[in-house]
Amino acid sequence: MSAAEPLLAAHELHKAFGPTPALDGASIEVAAGEVVAVMGPSGSGKSTLLHCLAGVVRPDAGSVRYRGRELTGCSDGELSALRRGEFGFVFQFGQLVPELSCVENVALPLRLDGLGRREAERRARAWLERLEVAELAGKTPGQVSGGEGQRVAVARALAAEPRVVFADEPTGALDSLNGEQVMRLLREAAQESGAAVVLVTHEPRVAAWSDREVVVRDGRTRATAAAGASA
Amino acid sequence: MSAWVRELALGARLARSGGRGALTRVGLTALGVALGVALLLVAASLPQMMSARDERTGARFDLQFTDPPRAAAADTLLIADVNDRFRQEDVRGRLLRAEGPQAPVPPGLDRLPRAGELFVSPALAALLRSEEGALLRERLSQPIAGTIGDEGLAGPAELAWYRGSDDLRVAADSGAVRRIDRFGEPGEGDGLDPVLRVLAVVVLAALLLPVAVFVATAARFGGEARDRRLAALRLLGADMRMTRRIAAGEALVAALLGLLLGALIFLVVRRIAGDVTLFGLSVFPGDVRPSAGLALAVALGVPAAAVLVTLAALRGVVIDPLGAVRRARPRRRRVWWRLAVPLLGVVLLLPLIRGDGQAAADHEAQLAAGVVLVLVGVAALLPWVVEAAVHRLGGGGVSWQLATRRLQLDSGASARVVSGIAVAVAGAVALQTTFSGVEGGYVRGGGEMRVADVWTEGGGRPGAAAERLAAALRGAEGARTVAAIEHVAAEHGETSEVVRVSDCATLRRTARIERCADGDVFVLAELTALRPGSRVRLQGGAGWMIPRDARIVRRWRGSRDLDDGAASSIADPVIATPGALAGIRLPVRTAIASVALAGDGRDAIEHVRNAAARIDETATVAALGGRSYDREYANLRRALFAGAVAVLVLIGASMLVGALEQLRERRRPLAVLAAFGTPPAAIARSLLWQAAIPVALGLTLAVAAGAGLGAALLRMVGEPVGFDGASVAGLAATGAAVVLLVTAATLPALRRTLRPEGLRAE
Repeated sequence: MSAAEPLLAAHELHKAFGPTPALDGASIEVAAGEVVAVMGPSGSGKSTLLHCLAGVVRPDAGSVRYRGRELTGCSDGELSALRRGEFGFVFQFGQLVPELSCVENVALPLRLDGLGRREAERRARAWLERLEVAELAGKTPGQVSGGEGQRVAVARALAAEPRVVFADEPTGALDSLNGEQVMRLLREAAQESGAAVVLVTHEPRVAAWSDREVVVRDGRTRATAAAGASA
Repeated sequence: MSAWVRELALGARLARSGGRGALTRVGLTALGVALGVALLLVAASLPQMMSARDERTGARFDLQFTDPPRAAAADTLLIADVNDRFRQEDVRGRLLRAEGPQAPVPPGLDRLPRAGELFVSPALAALLRSEEGALLRERLSQPIAGTIGDEGLAGPAELAWYRGSDDLRVAADSGAVRRIDRFGEPGEGDGLDPVLRVLAVVVLAALLLPVAVFVATAARFGGEARDRRLAALRLLGADMRMTRRIAAGEALVAALLGLLLGALIFLVVRRIAGDVTLFGLSVFPGDVRPSAGLALAVALGVPAAAVLVTLAALRGVVIDPLGAVRRARPRRRRVWWRLAVPLLGVVLLLPLIRGDGQAAADHEAQLAAGVVLVLVGVAALLPWVVEAAVHRLGGGGVSWQLATRRLQLDSGASARVVSGIAVAVAGAVALQTTFSGVEGGYVRGGGEMRVADVWTEGGGRPGAAAERLAAALRGAEGARTVAAIEHVAAEHGETSEVVRVSDCATLRRTARIERCADGDVFVLAELTALRPGSRVRLQGGAGWMIPRDARIVRRWRGSRDLDDGAASSIADPVIATPGALAGIRLPVRTAIASVALAGDGRDAIEHVRNAAARIDETATVAALGGRSYDREYANLRRALFAGAVAVLVLIGASMLVGALEQLRERRRPLAVLAAFGTPPAAIARSLLWQAAIPVALGLTLAVAAGAGLGAALLRMVGEPVGFDGASVAGLAATGAAVVLLVTAATLPALRRTLRPEGLRAE
């Protein structure tokens, strides 16, 4: 990857679910350490764009390049390995495995990457501490509030020290106070670890935490605008 | 009251109008209830099936003991048993001869057959018409004059015949031909002996309990989705009691549908019952009908049970009006009552552990209650055992961790489903243990059919009957070697002895005889107190002294061509050549021939039967070797295996539906796991562990309980306690196979669940 090349770039992505087009020529670039907010109304295709970027969904046409490597031709196994080692995820609902404790949830990506249980959980505790929820380590997701759960999810997304964190409406189920807190912690933690963040949201208040905004409408990306981070 | 009805009706409407998902859940629950209802109705028909069979076999009962013997009269009938086998099937045959115009007619016939006329059961008629029955036709070659009606048959597949004969005579010293003046004895029937009745009770309990577990599991399908719906109703103002009644209404719809469907399945099973011979068992459709009381109990009990299970499941759930459904902290399972159930069963069984099975058979209700309580105890203990065990599990890889944590969060659902397998396996282990213990009394022979023994009766000079029999059998196709002897009963003081009569060649098969000539006598001193010079009274009253020059010889030991045959292996104490008894007037005596069969013996034995029938229709032919069981015992084994297959299908289906349901409800967390790179194989392994851990615990508990129950049952029937390791291993392997199959069957659904669609929140 050359110095000028973006960390992650998608070009002319097309994706349809049955007869309904979700993406219709969307393109985006994300630089290392950058926080990019993908905005748009409900059903505009922003989540699908995020899924294509993360290698969760294969586009029907177009290209996705990560550190110079084309992802559309990768096998499922290669994409899974990439997601385990290089990417982190935060979703709006249900992102924590309900049967695992919070510390086990955070340790999960590390363990999947081959780290021993003890070391994985040690690091997971450190991340919980950084996200100010260390006291939740032994609790299960059913025993914590929505805001606390999202902070645990952010810790899990960052625990494996990914280069890119994908966050799909991470504050969508939270009140504004909790939402602000989660975004502050996500941004700070990502910045400290040097991870880029692709943030899908339809709330300008949340998008304000990003460095740049990309608007998706009817499956197409529109001109981007610089956004000042709140922090 | 009307509010109750309204709420129940609302629940019913919600079940119908909840979209495809709700309908699927109602359908699954209804299917589960239907299978349970159908099996319960079949089980409820068993008493009627057995009593109808008993009535019919009792009505044709043809043994009468009178002292003094009955004299010929206008209402008497001579009858001779010609019970036979063809391939692996029993063939019931009777020769009949009326002694007067009022002679009784057997049930199922409209008149007595005239001499040479053959009346056959429909199944035998079909067999005789078929190519398969060619060898049987040789000994049943008479023209078929009529068919035996259902009232004269044990079942539609029974092979039976009656034939008229004008040769029948009652012989003073033979029981082959009997004189009777009626068929049937009040209260008589084939019945089951006490040991078999004990086993039948256990079979029934072992089959029905898993069905009950399945019905209970089916009623919980779709629980979480229903809870979400109820939460929405709470938001609209329904209180907790109302939501419970609405949930009961939903459950009722599924249960009533299941009841109807189950009744339909039962009617279909009943309709085809006459055409199906499952593992050799056949019943008349008309006999498959539950008693009104039992049918009512099923009709009321199953919907009530489904509702109760639903309400019990709701006790552990807090339904929040804001739409969040949170499981309350699961209540710790109490062990005392779970342990009390099997202990109560043990208390009931303990007094029966004595005697030869009569005590147990005389107290069937107590036995059934004891067995049921022990088996229910397995089902009751299992959730506690699983909970206690999984809380101690830790470590391991990601898949192991996901599985154990899931079980720690809620092991009840898995344990409930596995309870069905556990109960079935506990019952099956108990039965296998009992079967293997009593097997000695019910199993005849082993390996392929090598030797056939033929018994017939004959008179004339000493040795003539044996010679005639041997000559007839030597001509039979597939008979390699034939040895024939005669038995002459003898009394020596208070003891009964047997003198064996045969030629030198045959006698040499029995004992180490070097020199032998007609007229010689030998004594096997190791078997008797008789010695040369001893005096005995022969059958028929003649006195005879064992010649003083008779030689003392020893038996052969080791394997010989006809070793298993009665004519060469049964060592009689005195063996004589025909010349030694020449001049003594002997009555009709038993001639026994042993025939070494060619090949696997399958066709040869039929040729031997045909050859024997040609000289004596009432000759008895028994194959030695070829695993053959007493018919009642074999029927129970067959019932057990058929039932075990049905139970495994039920439980496997239950586990599969439960696993699919869990996948649907965990769609989002699983999709998230896949999104951040968890290999699908790791998730599949976690599902495998999730099924395997409770099954392993269930099987361990089941084997322990089953072996204990089996040991108790063996003690009850006075048999030595043993443990059938092979069958336990087989059952454990079956349990493992069910787990693997269920997991394999969930993989396509798992792959679909892991698709990114599961991530979509909108």
